[in-house]
Amino acid sequence: MLIQEQREQQAISQIVVFRLAGEYYGADIAVVREVVPLQRVTPVPRTPEYVMGVINLRGRVIPVIDLRQRLGLPEAQMTKATRIAVGEVDGDQVGMIVDAVEEVARVSSDAVEPPSALMAQLDRDNVLGVAKVGDRLITLLDLRRILVREDRRSPVAPQ
Amino acid sequence: MGSGFEISAEDIRVFLDEAEELLQTMEGGILRLETDAGDPEVIQEIFRAAHTLKGSSATLGHQRMAELTHAMENVLDRLRKGKLTVTTELADTLFSCLDVLKALKDEIASGEPASVDTAEVMRRLAAFDQSGQPGAQRAPEPAAAVSPQMPPLTPAQEAQVKGAPARGMQAYWAEIRLAEDAAMPAVRAFQALLAVGDVGETVLSVPTQEQVEADQIDGELKVLFLTKETPERVRQILEQVPEIAIRTLAPYSSAAPVAAAEVAAASQAAAAHEAAAPQATAANQAPAPQAGARAAANGENGQAARSTKTGLRTVRVDVEVLDNLMNTVGELVIERTRLQQVLSRLEAEREGDDMAQVMSSALAQIGRLTGNLQEEIQRARMLPVDNLFRKFPRMMRDVAQKAGKEIQFVMKGEETELDRSVIEEIGDPLMHLLRNAVDHGIEPPAERLAAGKPAAGTVILEAYHEENHIIISVRDDGRGVDPDKVRASAVRKGLLSEEAARRLPDPEAVNLIWTPGFSTADKVSDISGRGVGLDVVQKNIEKINGSVEIHSKVGEGTEFRVKLPLTLAIIRALQVDLLGTTYCIPLGSVVETDRIPTADIRTVRQREVIVKRGEVIPLLRLAQVFQLERPEGAEEPEEIFVVIVAVMGRQIGLVVDTLVGEGDVVIKPLGRFIGEIPGISGATIMGDGDVAIILDVPSLVSSVQEEAGRLEAAVR
Repeated sequence: MLIQEQREQQAISQIVVFRLAGEYYGADIAVVREVVPLQRVTPVPRTPEYVMGVINLRGRVIPVIDLRQRLGLPEAQMTKATRIAVGEVDGDQVGMIVDAVEEVARVSSDAVEPPSALMAQLDRDNVLGVAKVGDRLITLLDLRRILVREDRRSPVAPQ
Repeated sequence: MGSGFEISAEDIRVFLDEAEELLQTMEGGILRLETDAGDPEVIQEIFRAAHTLKGSSATLGHQRMAELTHAMENVLDRLRKGKLTVTTELADTLFSCLDVLKALKDEIASGEPASVDTAEVMRRLAAFDQSGQPGAQRAPEPAAAVSPQMPPLTPAQEAQVKGAPARGMQAYWAEIRLAEDAAMPAVRAFQALLAVGDVGETVLSVPTQEQVEADQIDGELKVLFLTKETPERVRQILEQVPEIAIRTLAPYSSAAPVAAAEVAAASQAAAAHEAAAPQATAANQAPAPQAGARAAANGENGQAARSTKTGLRTVRVDVEVLDNLMNTVGELVIERTRLQQVLSRLEAEREGDDMAQVMSSALAQIGRLTGNLQEEIQRARMLPVDNLFRKFPRMMRDVAQKAGKEIQFVMKGEETELDRSVIEEIGDPLMHLLRNAVDHGIEPPAERLAAGKPAAGTVILEAYHEENHIIISVRDDGRGVDPDKVRASAVRKGLLSEEAARRLPDPEAVNLIWTPGFSTADKVSDISGRGVGLDVVQKNIEKINGSVEIHSKVGEGTEFRVKLPLTLAIIRALQVDLLGTTYCIPLGSVVETDRIPTADIRTVRQREVIVKRGEVIPLLRLAQVFQLERPEGAEEPEEIFVVIVAVMGRQIGLVVDTLVGEGDVVIKPLGRFIGEIPGISGATIMGDGDVAIILDVPSLVSSVQEEAGRLEAAVR
């Protein structure tokens, strides 16, 4: 019910479009605070595999996740186009590594299809829908889910 | 609350702050009253505080508080005049009054009616008020002898005051302050005297009318006078005199707070006449009363002027503002480092460039300034530990009374300063250690006497600096911790096997007290045995990067030493490298660093150890603990770097790749997304802008201990 509401709200707004493994993904511009160039990430031990580590964002230490891994996409080398998109949920900032940032697009709600039943469970949990902008298909990510760790209270056990 | 204060929130805040201070003054005073057996200065101090509180609570319209403080004032007044002596019962009553006053203060703070009854303490106070000499009238001269505050009236003046009621008059005491910037203070004082004369008879004034006319005035005028008018009317008339402020206007009792010397000056002329009279007045004893009075008055004025100045020089600041400032400066330091890097590139590319030189000197300046700024802000966050300590004497008194112990509680180093966030965190652990000392440390009086010790045990709470740390020590001269008793207790509670307990050396056996679920008390008392164990104390101290150690000798006593960082936000750390990432180890727990030939590593039950000065130190390879992957084909080096750290006397060696250096680091949280990670307490930003990870040494050490425990269990 609540998720339904969120989906409708977010579908109307502007989205930041980025590329991951050759496909287009989008996230609500209200959740993406900024996009910064790739920088040195300090690994943090005893964290889930997809947590790359932490970076210094103007004096703040924020975690960075590998969005490909988080979404179950194949790993890839970093390139010159690689960026860190910084999202903010409930005051917590988290960086996401994306292959490239394309543009900011307007998406009207009637151009958004709900997530298909054909999608894997992981995708359906993290995806708000699929939008059609021009001839591109853009998968709209639910950052409010992706950037909040459900296992936060039980960090990965040592060994 | 229903009493409908027409008072602003700001007024209430000011009142609450003031009330808090006054209550603390009273509490400290009452405690000293018991030990110093009625030192008149102490009584005066409590009296003044009660009096001030009475005034401000009445202004606020809080009737119950005003009535209670008034009743306290009466009892204190009798004490002051020597009509009462200090007994435990009296101190208890005064303490109960304080408790009620605190509840009433909270009532004002929260707006919720307090569930306290003032009637009970009022009744107890009244008992003291009536005991002692009956009758209202004063036996003047003997009282004057015991109370130097009594204005030494001449017999003629005394008679004048005494006869006032018969003439339908009442005696009043007024203290009038002349405006500091008054152009003609003597004229104003004269006008005030005239105004008093208009409504009644002046008995005496300080300074005298003659002195006023001779322009000998010090900014203050005190008058004892008789009048038929109401005080309101007198006030009205006095208020017509410009450039004066009425500080006190109250019915006169012989105890009006007047310094004897001042009055002596005023009555010197009279005293000269009365010198032959049988009554010895203070004036006779005061050498050169005139000069003395002036000096005293000057001193007081000087002080008043100073305190007004300091009043203007301090500002209340929200702690949050200080925190924000601290963070901002932290970022400034980081940005400066970035500029520094740009500069080095500039210098390399364009050698001898003017711009680069200007930038270089500006950067050096900025570096110095940010350093100063950081230091100043840190200083602004420091508070003397006295803020924390002063609530303990009362607590110790109550705890000792309840436990049936006699103690002498000594505090030292109250002026030692600590970051206020540390002070906030350390209160509960200290309280627990202090209660523990009374409850478990100090023996009952009979047992102490039997052991050849004084009946009263001593508990010392002391704070002092030690290098980059503050040490707070809680020590007692009680029975000490018996390692055998601890062993037995630990076995009984199933914390370890009998076999393991026997093998444990004494110091380590004593350290079992920190194990969760441990308590040496044979019976659980309601003081420290409340289910909150020493393990919680230790955890809370470690949470703020502190540590606590116990040193104990059976029969001689116990000392708990709490070692605290000066500030929470910044720590000194040893920086080490591990697979290209920098890790920081808080210096507080570092014992030493060493290079050890790989050949010297031995194993004990599958764990790598080194032997140093005969001590076996387990090794912890950080790369393994953190599951860091070494690049393929990396060879085991011939030597390893070991950082030996200690937590509560337990040493372990952390194996790292290289040592990088040492420096102050600003602790930053890893954030909620990452959450808590065992072995890591946070992150920091290094000079080059990179992030480094800060190790949580206590948790690393206890992980080794737990592992040893598991092995132990497996063998069994």
